[in-house]
Amino acid sequence: MYTLGIDIGSTTSKCVILKDGAKEVAKSLIVAGTGTDGPNRALNEVLKKANLKLEDVSYIVSTGYGRKGYRLANTEISELSCHAKGVMHLFPKVRTIIDIGGQDAKVLSINERGRLAEFVMNDKCAAGTGRFLDVMANVLKLDISDLEKEARKATNPVQISSTCTVFAESEVISQLSNGSSRENVVAGICKSVANRVATLAKRLDIKDEVFMSGGVAKNEGVRNAMEEVLNTKIVYSKDSQLMGALGAALFAYEKSIKEE
Amino acid sequence: MSNVDKLLAKFHEAATNPKKQLDSYLKNGKKVIGCVPVYTPEEVIHSFGYVPFGVWGADVQIKEAKRYFPAFICSIMQSILELGINGEYKGMSAIVIPSLCDSLKSVGQNWKYAVKDIPFIPMTYPQNRKCDSAKDFLNFTYGKVIKNLSDIDNIEFDDKKLAKSIEVYNKHNAAMRRFQKLLSEKPVLTAVERKDVYKSAYFMLKEEHTDLVEELNEYLANAIYDGSKTRVVTSGILADNENLLKIFDENNLTIVADDIAHESRQYRTDAPQSNSALDSLVEKFRNMDNCSVLFNKDKVRANYVVNLAKENNAAGVLMIMTKFCDPEEFDYVIIKKELDNADIPSLQVEIDRQMVNFEQANTMIQAFGEVL
Repeated sequence: MYTLGIDIGSTTSKCVILKDGAKEVAKSLIVAGTGTDGPNRALNEVLKKANLKLEDVSYIVSTGYGRKGYRLANTEISELSCHAKGVMHLFPKVRTIIDIGGQDAKVLSINERGRLAEFVMNDKCAAGTGRFLDVMANVLKLDISDLEKEARKATNPVQISSTCTVFAESEVISQLSNGSSRENVVAGICKSVANRVATLAKRLDIKDEVFMSGGVAKNEGVRNAMEEVLNTKIVYSKDSQLMGALGAALFAYEKSIKEE
Repeated sequence: MSNVDKLLAKFHEAATNPKKQLDSYLKNGKKVIGCVPVYTPEEVIHSFGYVPFGVWGADVQIKEAKRYFPAFICSIMQSILELGINGEYKGMSAIVIPSLCDSLKSVGQNWKYAVKDIPFIPMTYPQNRKCDSAKDFLNFTYGKVIKNLSDIDNIEFDDKKLAKSIEVYNKHNAAMRRFQKLLSEKPVLTAVERKDVYKSAYFMLKEEHTDLVEELNEYLANAIYDGSKTRVVTSGILADNENLLKIFDENNLTIVADDIAHESRQYRTDAPQSNSALDSLVEKFRNMDNCSVLFNKDKVRANYVVNLAKENNAAGVLMIMTKFCDPEEFDYVIIKKELDNADIPSLQVEIDRQMVNFEQANTMIQAFGEVL
């Protein structure tokens, strides 16, 4: 039995196909999120990679910001539950998940039974999200993927406000005007994201292991800053962005079995 | 349309068209007095033959009120002043504004300058309710409200008429408490329908509202519930936005009890028997508790919410936090701790009167439902 999870985020669309709820058959990631052709492209790509047709898939679960409007899905589940499910499938020792996506940041607490117990989420503010990094990369005329390389070269990271994207943008411009190097400013930006999300994380009881998922997890600068701020080691996978889609595919399998 | 649907339509019509209700009372020659949150002595207003009319603002964009308030003040207060300035309360003979929190104090002060055609009647409550001096204080401040109301039409205050109004209000309280109890046993209404019952009470004479609620209660008493929904309790100042409440229904969550100021908190305490009707009203306020704007050094509200969840077999508690409501924010920390100690899952959702997009609230509530 093939099941498919599709995670339609604000900036990316991700798909995972599983065989019998265990073996990953194919995955896809398209940099285009809800309200674009991203979900369709991600679906077509994952089906092509798996050498399957849509009718071969028994059950589809959608998740992410665009989960409700996705008509091909049999059902939709929140991204919080799906991220927890996906991460716990691959990293069963994880007890805290920090998921930073394009426009929101979430911290999930996993109980001893490996289930989502509690969570906190940012609200009405882009500080500490992927959007914050997008805006800052734009100010610095850098590609977002280059931020971590720049942060690695930093010798003395500057201090950037962690409370507001708009004010932080002005601060970055001021820092550059005052002669701070680009790499030190980038490292300051990464630390700012980490500080912001850490304040969210500290509302919950942070337990090891701590896993980072979502697009921002790819940024080594933010991961390192997060380790420093939370004083703990961060577990990471190169497929961190796909955890929501993986969780959705796992739920799809469970639901399909239940409905049969 | 079935009888219950017709009944629910009446609640919905009144809850969603307060201006129509107001104009209807005015057209019938009634004098209407605005009652600002959280508690006003409605029974006194009623005893003069006036219509006490709830003024809790609305979900509107704030423009004019920004001339009087800073951005970081509760949006309920901002929207009350906004609607006042825009003439939504036109025709009211006066507005009673209590002083139960710092934001409310500034509403009264600003109202005098911003809305000159509706006189402001201040209602000052004592911070400490239980001590003997609180009785004298309340008698004095109720007396000032009575004097202001008397001046509208040169009507003398009559304690016997107040006693009759108290009867009307106690009867309404009982009907509302039964409504909540029946809904806890058989939560067959949607969150929006439930809200309509509570909200419409502010825009109708209580005797009219009691009749409708009692009719609905008879239906609920005989209703059949399949037990398929996840039971939750809500807590906060206000939770009347339909887009927010629809999220509950979409995620199979049903509100089996509440600690919402706009809802059940209004109906917990009756005015008891006393030497005079006014003394009875004084005792009512002294007996009220478990509310963020009613000072209690022991913070008993935290246990109240825990017990409310337990008694109603709720799987979790949703703390609906009105942005910039200091009293609720202070209480939240204590309530959250007690809920955690009792192993009752909880979720805080922040709202305000200017919210248009509830997508994040949707994700949070859906995930909470999945956790439960």
